[in-house]
This record gives sequence, C-alpha cells and structure tokens, in this order.
Amino acid sequence: MNDDRDYAKPGPGEPDLRALSALVDDELSDAERAATLERLAVDADAARRVAHYRAQNAALKALFAMPQETTRCLVLHRRVPWWQRAGVAAAWLSVGIMLGSALGSVLGLTPNWILPSLSADQVAFAQRANIAYAVYAPEQRHPVEVAANEKEKAQLVSWLSRRLDRSLVVPSLQEYGYALVGGRLLPGEAGPAAQFMYQNAAGERLTLYVTQFSRDTAAVGLLSDGGRNTFYWANQGMGYALSGQVPETHLRPIALDVCGALGGHPESWR
Amino acid sequence: MSFEADIVVWLPVMKRYARALTGDPAWADDLVQDTAERALSRWHALRPQSNLRAWLLTILRHLYIDQLRMHREIAVDDENAPWSRMPAPPGEVDTLVLRDVQRALYRLPIEQREVLLLVGLEELSYQEAAIVLKVPVGTVMSRLSRAREHMRALLAEDPCRKGSALKVVRTVVKSTP
Repeated sequence: MNDDRDYAKPGPGEPDLRALSALVDDELSDAERAATLERLAVDADAARRVAHYRAQNAALKALFAMPQETTRCLVLHRRVPWWQRAGVAAAWLSVGIMLGSALGSVLGLTPNWILPSLSADQVAFAQRANIAYAVYAPEQRHPVEVAANEKEKAQLVSWLSRRLDRSLVVPSLQEYGYALVGGRLLPGEAGPAAQFMYQNAAGERLTLYVTQFSRDTAAVGLLSDGGRNTFYWANQGMGYALSGQVPETHLRPIALDVCGALGGHPESWR
Repeated sequence: MSFEADIVVWLPVMKRYARALTGDPAWADDLVQDTAERALSRWHALRPQSNLRAWLLTILRHLYIDQLRMHREIAVDDENAPWSRMPAPPGEVDTLVLRDVQRALYRLPIEQREVLLLVGLEELSYQEAAIVLKVPVGTVMSRLSRAREHMRALLAEDPCRKGSALKVVRTVVKSTP
C-alpha cells in the first residue's frame, strides 16, 4: 500500500490536519467545531487548506455528475461464469422440485406461502415485469441477452421454454409495427422468468414478461408508473405482463390481442 | 420484490461512484452490473435495518478491488489509460483545472481515492464510509485527511499549472436522490 505517505500527520509545529478535513465534512462535535473555526480565524494557512478541500469536493462533483440515463444499467444476468450459472440453475431446479412436490402433495392447490396473494399488493410478477422493462428497455448495448429476429425466433423460444419448463408461445406484434428483438432469462418470484423484447421502427420497445404463476386471475391488471404501463394477467399456470412506455390506450388493444394469442380470455377484461 | 426497486433507486449513485473510482465508463457499467447482480443474489444477507446504499457500495468496492488485480497492467500515468480519454464535463466548469483534478485523483493510491470519493463525492458520513471500507472511523478520518493533502500536493507540483490555485469557476451541482 502506498497509503503510508503520511501527508496528514502533524509535523513538528504543524497543526493536526484531520480536524480541518472533518470540518469540511461536518463531522466535528460542537466544541471541536468552535475550536477549529477559531483556529481558522487566526491561521491563514489552515483557512487556505479548508478552502482547498472544499474546492476539491466541488471539483469532484463537477467531474462526476449524477448519470442522467439512470436506467442504462443492466441489472441481471450477463457474463455469468459457468459455475455461477450452474449454481443458479441448481437453485431453480430445487425451487422447481420444491414447487413440484408441494403442488403434487396438495393436488394442485398452491400453498399460500409460495405465491403472494393476489389481493395483497399488486401482483408481484407484474411489479417485476415493470421493473425489468424499466431496466432493459432503454438499454442500448445489451437490450436482450439473446438476439433473435422473427426468423430465428424458434431457437430463442425453445431455449427459454426449456428454462421455464413450459412450452412458450411468442405472439407476433408485427401488426402493430413491433418486431421481436430477442429475449432474456430473469429470476422471478418462484422460478425463472422470460422477457421478450419487441421494437418498432421508431425504436420504441415493448416487453412481454412470462413466468410461472399458479393462479388464474379472471381480470386483467394495470400498473402505471411514470409513463410506463404494464398490463398483466394469468392463465393456465403462467403469469404474463406486457409493458411499454406508451399510453394505456395504445397498449391495451395490443395486450388484449396478446392475451388471446396466448390462450387467455380477453373477453373477461371488459 | 421491492428490493429490486430499491436497487434501481441506487443505480445512479452506484454508477457515479463506479465511474469516479475506475475513471472508465465501460468498466463502471460492468461494475454496476456485477454489483446489482451480486446484490440480488445475496439480498437475504442484508439485515433489515441496515443501510442499503452502504451495502451496495461495499459490494461494488469488493468487486472493484477484485477486478483491479486483473487490470493491474494499466499504469496510473499511462497516457492510454481509460481516464485520460474520459470526456471532460461540458462548458460550465473550467475544464482545464478539472482535468488536473481528474489526473491527480487517479494518481492517488486507491485507498485514498476511494475514501475521498465516498466522503467528498458521495457524501457518506465517516461512519458509513467506515462500514464500506471495513476500517475504523479514525482510519477514515486520517486517510481522508491524507488524501486531501495528497491532492493538494499533486495539484501544486503539476508543472503545467504554474502555481495557479485550484478553482472551480462555476459548477452545476446535481442533487443526490
């Protein structure tokens, strides 16, 4: 360590500089603070040091402004080392086994402790879907983990189907001008979740989030958060959420269509 | 579930700190990514009443130090080092002076740089910085004091600076969330 160059150590006749630093950071007790301020009044060198320290802080803040594009960070799963992947897969497998055995033992009735109740807070998977959209949709470098155009779709779908242990269907949104860009695997409430991303010519993105969810909700739910809308519903053991930074009126007909395409009952939404 | 949302709230802070620490936006993005990933996989290790920001910054710091070992080949004074190509912030500030500060910052030993950034930039209390750095509060205090004096010395010795004092002409200080 080079830290031993002891710049702050008071030399002979030199004042303790730590108090000056702590003054800048407002970390002194009232008594120490008063004493230090008194010292500054008579000690021009100490006063210059304090001014310099403050200028350093200001310079650091000017150099490193808070990033504005707050959501251009990825939150999950990229470049995970194989051993970690194996661990995660094993964890999901054990969750799957746990779920499977629990389900088996009560003949299909989902224990309450595994899944959040629908009436209590908003459906957890919809929240996750909503956050996953916020995190990945603005991403320029890695919006998806696996890129896939409409032609390569089959490979992506079979990969995610294998991971979710369900045969997934990815509806086409071409009619609305959105093409599939790819997808990624995310951890969900009770196992893995898949996020499919679509994009239109203007670069606007929609995501379809799919995860295991053992209760059917007759109705559709809507989560709105800062211009971002997420329609969610559940059907045949799966939870679905369609999210977009588009008005609710724009998203709703698409969500209706997607729900229908995925074997749901959009008629019950009305 | 709300834990993920909590992490998202701190993403800008993590990103700013990572950028300042590494001086390399791409590396910083990776660090934040790795930090969020690790935090999500270890959230159960977070005690209910503990400080999420300090916890996240602690994880970020550990990862940075791990990765630093792999990046060791970059010499601090290397003109090709990522931070020497880092864009200077836009017009409101005296970019020449800021560039000197930037250079000085990356010439500090890492122990001094990180404490200076945690307290001077991120405005952590000494107590919080002590948690992140896993050192006693007294060490934070003296290390920070050394860091500031070291900065002063580096800025004074720079031959290009002809003795002019550090000044920030006009800064736009962004508030933290």
